[in-house]
Amino acid sequence: MNLSSDNHLNDLTFKSVIDALPCYLMVQDPEYRILFANQIFERDFGRNVAGDHCYKILKNADSICTTCPVRDTFKDKKPHVSEETVHLADGTIVEMIAYSAPLFDVMGNVMACIKLLANVEKVKRIHRELVTLGQSIALLSHDIKNVLEGLQGGVYVVEEGLKDKDAALSDQGWDIVKRNITEITRITQNVLYSAKERKPQLKKTSPVDIARQTGQLFEAKALSTGVQLLLQLNPDVPLLNLDDAAMSRMLSNLIWNAIQACQDDGGKSKHIVSVRVDYYDPNHVMFEVEDNAVGMDKEARENLFKEFFSSKGDSGTGLGLMVVEKIVKNHMGKIEVLTKPGQGSLFRIIFKTETHLNEEKLIHGGKHDRCTPENRHY
Amino acid sequence: MTDAPQKIAIIDDNTDYLFIMKTFFSRNGYKTVTAPDGKQGMDLIRAEKPDLIILDIMMETTFSGFEVCRQIRSDAALKKIPIIGVSGMADEIGVKFNKTDDAEYFSPDVFFDKPVDKDALLLTIGNLLS
Repeated sequence: MNLSSDNHLNDLTFKSVIDALPCYLMVQDPEYRILFANQIFERDFGRNVAGDHCYKILKNADSICTTCPVRDTFKDKKPHVSEETVHLADGTIVEMIAYSAPLFDVMGNVMACIKLLANVEKVKRIHRELVTLGQSIALLSHDIKNVLEGLQGGVYVVEEGLKDKDAALSDQGWDIVKRNITEITRITQNVLYSAKERKPQLKKTSPVDIARQTGQLFEAKALSTGVQLLLQLNPDVPLLNLDDAAMSRMLSNLIWNAIQACQDDGGKSKHIVSVRVDYYDPNHVMFEVEDNAVGMDKEARENLFKEFFSSKGDSGTGLGLMVVEKIVKNHMGKIEVLTKPGQGSLFRIIFKTETHLNEEKLIHGGKHDRCTPENRHY
Repeated sequence: MTDAPQKIAIIDDNTDYLFIMKTFFSRNGYKTVTAPDGKQGMDLIRAEKPDLIILDIMMETTFSGFEVCRQIRSDAALKKIPIIGVSGMADEIGVKFNKTDDAEYFSPDVFFDKPVDKDALLLTIGNLLS
């Protein structure tokens, strides 16, 4: 079939090609008014856009954008490209690459401009993931390096003790080795937990038993760092449908963070980390981990659950809280964070007492609210 | 009569690291004093007048190694004490200390990345104290 010999068919094909393009396309006049838009554009930005200003439709703005490839094209008659954040008709905000190209009249003047927008949201997301991956590898390698240095140093102290038949020195070296083995175990478990989706292995479990057993794991660390670890567990709290291993990981991360925060706070003579299990209200049970360390400022609070955000500078990947959030989300629970700079932080995890959990829901988008309620403790 | 051992002050918020380095230096003929944060470190330095200071830059407690270094350098009685700066982050963040360019805000005599090569550290200390 020779399309060029059949004008009617040719026109139809041209229009269908423009409409079928997997990108947004419009033509604008020198006042940035839309003269024509393809079908996909009208589908996502609203019908009957002809005559409206581009900036109004794309950004709901009243004047031309600071960066505008179309303006540049009208100015120098050349194609331009820029990145734009635009609002779809349903309110979704999307990142786009915008290309502009001139349409000339017979005199060689630019009578209109084509603007083509390609959705790069997916590319941007992959880009962000790659950046996060890079950061994560850097931070993890740093943490692992610290542990290795601790292990090497501990082994050195053990050997020096053996050389001098100084059992006390060897014991101190061995304690350093053990602490670092615990640390590398913690890092590895968090990496594994964050690396893939896990189906919670739900079974009737005692929150009090979990908190007691997990708290006991930190007795030595608390003692060695001069932190008082208090377990306040209400024995009347009922059994819940929980993944006990995940709960233990969640509490471990919170207790570890709390002790670390106390260690980093040089401003108080006594540090206390309290671990509580109690009723939140008649239908909910809560785990609480509270410290009286430095608390958090606004930035730290806002970034708290972001992957690989750490306020701990030299000692922390930021993975711990991300894993906590994931576990709570998988159990359809809720996290409350109460904090005040200089006074301390409280993490409260709340679960329903009657949980009729659907495993599919658990993994794929269980509803999870995270909130900062009125500060009740400070 | 033998000379008194030279005194090294180590300031680092990692208490295991302090203990390891204390053991290492004592076994290599040095006396050590230690502090777990910048504020206590400054008190220690003023009280002990060490012959050399090993200073962690990335401490998370009170003030950082940068601040300790600044205070030492601006104190007439302390400013000539050699400082060895150490950090565990340089590789990861891709920022390397440059003695010439960075002297304005951080001026150790020598800089080491963690993990510190202990033989190189001993050699450096020997040179700085000779």
